[in-house]
Amino acid sequence: MTTTAAGKGTLGTRTMRMNIGPQHPATHGTLHLEVEVDGEIVTNCRPHIGYLHTGFEKLAEYRSYNQFIPLSDRLNYLSSLNNNIGFALAVEELLGIEITPRCRVLRVLLAELGRIGDHVISVGLQAMDLGAFSIMLWTFVEREKLYDIFETVSGGRLTTSWTRIGGLSRDITDDFVPLVRKFVEYFPGVLDEIEKMLNRNRIFTKRTIGVGRMSKEEAVSHGVTGPLLRASGVAYDVRRARPYLGYDKYDFEIPTHPDGDVWARYRVRMAEMRQSIRIIEQALENIPAGPVTALDTKFALPDKFSVYNDMEALIHHFKLIMHGHGFQPVPGEIYSCTESPNGELGWFIVSDGTRNPYRLRCRPPSFINYTAFPKMVEGAMISDMVAVMASMNVIAGELDR
Amino acid sequence: MNANHPVVARFRERFAADVLSVEEFRGQTVISVKAPRAVEMLKSLRDDAECPFDMLTDLTAADYLRLDAPERFAVVYQLLSMLRNERLRVKAYVSEARPEIGSVSSLWGNANWLEREVWDLYGIRFLGHPDPRRILMPDDYEGHPLRKDYPLKGRGERSHFPKYTAEEAP
Amino acid sequence: MGLEKLLGDGILATRVSALVNWARQNALWPMPFGTACCAIEMMATLSSRFDLSRFGAEVIRFSPRQADLMIVSGRISIKMMPVLLKIWEQMPEPKWCISMGACASSGGVFDTYTLIQGVDQFIPVDVYIPGCPPRPENLIDGIRKIQEIVSKERLWDAKHGN
Repeated sequence: MTTTAAGKGTLGTRTMRMNIGPQHPATHGTLHLEVEVDGEIVTNCRPHIGYLHTGFEKLAEYRSYNQFIPLSDRLNYLSSLNNNIGFALAVEELLGIEITPRCRVLRVLLAELGRIGDHVISVGLQAMDLGAFSIMLWTFVEREKLYDIFETVSGGRLTTSWTRIGGLSRDITDDFVPLVRKFVEYFPGVLDEIEKMLNRNRIFTKRTIGVGRMSKEEAVSHGVTGPLLRASGVAYDVRRARPYLGYDKYDFEIPTHPDGDVWARYRVRMAEMRQSIRIIEQALENIPAGPVTALDTKFALPDKFSVYNDMEALIHHFKLIMHGHGFQPVPGEIYSCTESPNGELGWFIVSDGTRNPYRLRCRPPSFINYTAFPKMVEGAMISDMVAVMASMNVIAGELDR
Repeated sequence: MNANHPVVARFRERFAADVLSVEEFRGQTVISVKAPRAVEMLKSLRDDAECPFDMLTDLTAADYLRLDAPERFAVVYQLLSMLRNERLRVKAYVSEARPEIGSVSSLWGNANWLEREVWDLYGIRFLGHPDPRRILMPDDYEGHPLRKDYPLKGRGERSHFPKYTAEEAP
Repeated sequence: MGLEKLLGDGILATRVSALVNWARQNALWPMPFGTACCAIEMMATLSSRFDLSRFGAEVIRFSPRQADLMIVSGRISIKMMPVLLKIWEQMPEPKWCISMGACASSGGVFDTYTLIQGVDQFIPVDVYIPGCPPRPENLIDGIRKIQEIVSKERLWDAKHGN
């Protein structure tokens, strides 16, 4: 303990070191904060991370590109579809192959549904951490409905492993479009309901407005991306800045907020969900017919039906799967990024020409956003720290990899 | 960004002695440099008048043990210019004998943690780093796991813990 | 038993252990040691659609001293393992443990330098739940299995600190 000099007429206080986490309800998993507090005021905050370090990047060097897709689910388990899609796009960019138009639209659809699923739970948890538990239960109801949709396309609720290099694991089923239509129709009503509960909620507004401010310059210097950057007033979105999957053809806005506080992040997330709905509506109108997998590229796996019924597909399948075979990209290095719900999800891949990546680096948005956290909470109250933490939506799997 | 961009040309002119190569692959430009003046180079890119690379998107490293490369390690900087929407990659090669390079934590806020991660996983020291601790692995961990000569399954760290059974309640 | 007749209405004779076990098994207080994907499914189990409170196990306690069931859900790294052991030590007897999902039970797909290949190497696990991650129904089934185990406990067992 250190003694701080007491000013004239004030009581002398001593600062105290305190540990929050790694097992603590407010830390959403496995974060550990070592905070120095002067009464209730945080004077210094040192986050300790790595409690969920799994060795993804090392493991990737021993797995082929398609084998990494199931691992990419488990990186950010709140938005696994966006990870699947981001990773597949990165490898496709390395290989230099084009995917089919149908695949492109379906990926946009599912990426936006994934974004809604992530944002809705993030808003719910933010409200829960500030005491509004019912919002969390409501948002989980919505997430369950999204799980139903994910299940129809991929068979999995959480870990979808839906993409393949050069295509998708399978085409959508007939009940997919009606399910999404139904969801799109009624979901804006849910957003209105959540806003009705929170926007004029005295506790919520008092604990969010002006809390955890981050200026534009700070955000850029810390490399913060995603809703956090946009809540600090920078209209940067990878979907616009570096369009992929034909995002430049969709009509949507990039919501921003000038304040950069916890409230702003909540507002930006809500607005982004509305924009995602807009994108989904446009994509639903225009799902092209045709195959979902670009078979002619010789990189993509043929579907199971033709493997069992067609000689050429069977040979092709074995060529890709058998030990010692598999596609081999040209040697080279690539950095590819997509807009995941938390920000810029980047993949830096070094290929040495074999079937496994030589080096695979994931640029984790949570990790880089979290670097700004100590700055945001210094001088704030301990309870504000909880609010800030919830607003950042730090996913430990992605933070520690 | 292509390799003929004026920023790249200016950079080559200014640091001609230290630039190893400028390559373009799939429309992405990579500048490979020698490590000693890396901080100065990155500062010049950050403060470029026309195309300032104000965001350090990512900082990582790669171990080129089994590939043909000027040195064993490379520290990789992914830069982004918010103003011009341009991306650039700088690779600074670091030798195996002296794995060290200057720290850019004074230039960008997020470099502090990213450099700690590179130190943790690759064992590359960052000179002038304000807080050179491990970040992902436990503090008492030995070795740098992302190096190519480190085994995937570790060196037995996974099984060194006390064991509790149902019979001997603590 | 004929004793009820003698004692009149409102009195029920039973064995003490049966009564205690009945109370315990229907009021499990889980300590969620959630780290990764499985923790999200655990949250789903607690929320509206699956509603764990139907089985009397919804009182989630983040303080190990108030819990009697540890649900290890997610990957446990070598940095997290000492924390897990400490929390297990802090839980009062009697206590039970569920290892939820492939990673907690065996390391799952991650056979790497940092991941514990199954928490049962270090703490006694009563019920394993397969899946990556297990669906909420599986977790509910696991909790029902724990309730079965609890119902067969004997009060003088070592588990209860005698």
